[in-house]
Amino acid sequence: MPVLLDPPEGCRRPTYLMVKHHLKLEILMYLGGLIWFLALPSDHIQSASYFSENSLLPGLVKGGFVEDSYAKTLLASLQDEISSHPTQMPYSWLLAQFRQIGLDVYTHNFTVNYPLSRDLAYEGQNVYGILRAPRGSSTEAIVLSVPFRGSKSVHPSTAAGVALILAIAKFCRRQKYWAKDLIFLITEHEQLGAQAWLEAYHKTSSGRDGVLMSGDLVSRGGAIQAAVNLELFSDRISHIDVKIEGLNGQLPNLDLVNLVHMLCNKEGVHHTFHNRANYGDREYSKVDPYKTWAYSLRTMLEMVFAQASGVPNGNHGLFHRFGIEAVTLTGYRKVDRGSPATFYQVGRVLEGILRSLNNLLERFHQSYFFYLLSATDRYISIGVYIPAVGLMASTLLLRALAVWRSLQLPSLQSDKEKLMRAQEISNCFASVGLTVLAAHALGVLLLRVPVWSALYITSIADSSLAMVVGLVAFTTLAIFLPVLKSMHSDAILLLYVIGLIELATILLAVSLHNFPLAVICSIVFVPFALFANGRKLRLLRILGWLLVQPLLLVALLILGYTSIHFPDDPIIAKAIHAFTQALTFSFVDYAVYGNWMLSVATTFLFPTWFVLWIVVLKGNS
Amino acid sequence: MGSSDTFKSLCLEYGFALILRIWLYNSEFKATVSGRVEVSTPINSWKKVTEGVALYKDGINPYSGDMFHESPVGLVIYSQLIDQATPYLSAIFIIFDLLTGHLLYLTAVEYMKHLMRRQNEDKDEYSEEVKELLLTDKDVKRQPLYVVAAYLFNPYILFNTVAQTTTVFSNFCLAASFFCMVKGNRPVVCLFLSLATLQSLYPIVLIVPAAICIGYHTLPPVNKSKSVTSKLPKIYQKILPRALQSTNSDHWVRSMAATIGLFAAMTSSLLVLSCYISGGWEFVHSVYGFMLLVPDLRPNIGLFWYFFTEMFEHFRLLYLWAFQMNALVLYLLPLSLRTRRDPVLLAATLTGITAMFKSYPSLGDVGFYLALLPMWAHIFPYLQQGFIVLAAFIITSVLGPTVWHLWIYARSANANFYFGVGLAFAIAQIFLITDILLSYTKREFILRQVSGSVFNGKHRKLVLA
Repeated sequence: MPVLLDPPEGCRRPTYLMVKHHLKLEILMYLGGLIWFLALPSDHIQSASYFSENSLLPGLVKGGFVEDSYAKTLLASLQDEISSHPTQMPYSWLLAQFRQIGLDVYTHNFTVNYPLSRDLAYEGQNVYGILRAPRGSSTEAIVLSVPFRGSKSVHPSTAAGVALILAIAKFCRRQKYWAKDLIFLITEHEQLGAQAWLEAYHKTSSGRDGVLMSGDLVSRGGAIQAAVNLELFSDRISHIDVKIEGLNGQLPNLDLVNLVHMLCNKEGVHHTFHNRANYGDREYSKVDPYKTWAYSLRTMLEMVFAQASGVPNGNHGLFHRFGIEAVTLTGYRKVDRGSPATFYQVGRVLEGILRSLNNLLERFHQSYFFYLLSATDRYISIGVYIPAVGLMASTLLLRALAVWRSLQLPSLQSDKEKLMRAQEISNCFASVGLTVLAAHALGVLLLRVPVWSALYITSIADSSLAMVVGLVAFTTLAIFLPVLKSMHSDAILLLYVIGLIELATILLAVSLHNFPLAVICSIVFVPFALFANGRKLRLLRILGWLLVQPLLLVALLILGYTSIHFPDDPIIAKAIHAFTQALTFSFVDYAVYGNWMLSVATTFLFPTWFVLWIVVLKGNS
Repeated sequence: MGSSDTFKSLCLEYGFALILRIWLYNSEFKATVSGRVEVSTPINSWKKVTEGVALYKDGINPYSGDMFHESPVGLVIYSQLIDQATPYLSAIFIIFDLLTGHLLYLTAVEYMKHLMRRQNEDKDEYSEEVKELLLTDKDVKRQPLYVVAAYLFNPYILFNTVAQTTTVFSNFCLAASFFCMVKGNRPVVCLFLSLATLQSLYPIVLIVPAAICIGYHTLPPVNKSKSVTSKLPKIYQKILPRALQSTNSDHWVRSMAATIGLFAAMTSSLLVLSCYISGGWEFVHSVYGFMLLVPDLRPNIGLFWYFFTEMFEHFRLLYLWAFQMNALVLYLLPLSLRTRRDPVLLAATLTGITAMFKSYPSLGDVGFYLALLPMWAHIFPYLQQGFIVLAAFIITSVLGPTVWHLWIYARSANANFYFGVGLAFAIAQIFLITDILLSYTKREFILRQVSGSVFNGKHRKLVLA
């Protein structure tokens, strides 16, 4: 067989076998990855969480918070204020309360220029009070924040949260052990306010220029070490849900999450993760391993979907971008019978969290930043979960290797023939390189399309619809683009190799940032990418790959979702509306918060899809 | 492909490259790219240049602090540039980049001619069966176009240009020296090499291939009837490699001595000029001391920073020697001996090795030697690790910025992640360079040694053990 070019067969037996049986191996690896992922929440794989940072000393001191009646008074007063000013945040009331407690209090103005329109701007104002550390030099700070919601808000009111942090501020004011500044932050306009405040605090901007004008702050504390965002819907709490998923799927340090759960436990507050209590918390029956696994899997999948969206499920998610560990505590109103958690208990939980954070000697660096949770006290670390994506992405690399080998026609016996063949292949390098470059150029253009279409097609429709029209038109154009150019069959195979490597690269890179997103993408894209090239079933292959066109995939998912959840309404109209909304939100998130979902989808995923689309269309014809 | 076709595709490439660069200069990527550690190092970043120039204008010696690491000659040129041509700065960078591309094209054209010439000379040494494997006119036409495309559309080079690093100028100097090298122009090659050395020190190793190359160019025509007796003392002939102990040995010694001497003279006069400009010798410590002693451990794509942050301070000097020898001299002698017949390949290899192992490498350096490689497109079929190198380059190039973001901004990863990717990138480059050298050897072997039975049967293998 090969002489000078490849070492003989025996010398590289494993590679040879790998290439020979690549299809079986690929199926095995894909299924292996999938099974590994599903098996993660089993008790044999996941582990019990523990504290890694010693200096937190959670729950070591006895709680001293007794301002619950003050909080109740404040709540009543605040609700009066809200009902008299239904659209506006009661700034003067808030400022007065902070001043009365004796804190430095400031307001912060910000403006949002709506990115899809030329002259549409929203304004907002945040209020924050700083409790200067009596035992420190204001070099570090802890943030306690509440998003303020007026009575017109679609979300439940957080007035109870505002009342509670004022009460906590009053309590903390009288303690002398604070070594870090405490910043009490009340934000307006949900995540916009929090993002604007953070950008102003750090004098930076995460999104596109000129969209979120965050202004400047009058006063700052030290470097923010951690933040707790509080959303209490009532003064009678049934349970506290701990939310962790942040912008772009970033998570807070696991120690902080554990801290919250542990203190809730200590104060006897019912606590959940994705509104799911731990299995067996309620029923003390015999533990069935299968049921435990199924229950944990469900909890883990809830987290997976929340994290994969890349959109924070609370204001805490915006802090992560600035290297600040943060969680949201959402307290739900108790509606059924039984004793609720009151301001007293929740206040003590917060006091405990603040005192533990106050103990920190360095910023959070122990414990895990990359993990999945399947219960409030079970975690799966990166080393355990990464093989799932690793296996699935490697199938693409294996296929690329196999195609590369088949391109060199291993059936050729002599070296001379092989060399001639290799020269033939190298003839296609230029056209393949150009095609890949063109695909990426298309991707970069695609990212510009929303703005352009929103600005220039506004005459026929509103900006969101114009954006969707632009995107759909561009994508349709791109789908028909490969018809223009014919390619040599070697070039097609080479293109397939590059496309596969690129897809694997994207999956690996995304898995480091946002593992759930990478898993979902792997599960969806890998089989179709492997199926993309072949002699038989051409039509099926083309349809399959067309199906996973990123924009079409989103549209189909939304259509499916609407038809399941709103079966009675006119589905198509509703789905189109939802589709428009989804695309607009993803663009606004990209422009305001620097969410990379849209930019990665357009500049990396779309070009890769396009490269493989050419392969599917032209392969082996 | 006729010459008008070549001209057309060249114009197309330049036009497209120009448009691409103008667009990139005006896009929001510019700010992002110029801040990247992979592209801008303490040595080549334009920001540092502006700082240095500002100090210089205020009458403060820019070399007394730890701010500026360009040579004084560069300082004067940049300060003139900033004074006179600030509005046209981006145009100047783009023009120099395109010129570099064109110089590489000319280099490749000249080199391909040279390869053809040598192939014709050696034709009788080759066996009949390998005829199809020889270079064709098509290759000669095509490979220079590949070179210029690999330079102008290389993403690494694009980043480098857009970030306005001074590597644009050092790449220009290098390209000019490559061109003069293949042209055999001794004074100019020495001039450009000494300029490149003055700026970034490491190109000093290229004087060896340059000297060999010029030696070939000035080789007197072979006169077989007259045996020339060497005028050199016997002892010199003993230490010279056997290939040089020919009748031409005194030509070689003289030619190489002349080249190296001229280079040394030019470099030292540039150094003296620098001393005159900056009013003292402090710049030596601030420029070359900075490169050799590696005091700034800001992460980059190289291998120094991580080792030197991790290691105990008392080992520092030892490892400095080890690392700098690795970058400068370790491979110089063996590679020079092995590839002395093809000094351009030697020069490209050495450029690659220094780009990989030097103390502050940037993507501009990597892109430069990658752009040279299509000159050897005819040996690509012999590559063994092509797939691994391709996959590793793609994966590490994407993963690097990703883990950097996780480490620096999100603070959830750490230095190990980034260095791991950097290490993989370096390994991919090592694979590439060894593979190119091995393939070169293989091709030579196949063309010369192989008789039909060996070539078509299953007998020998040639792998890098």
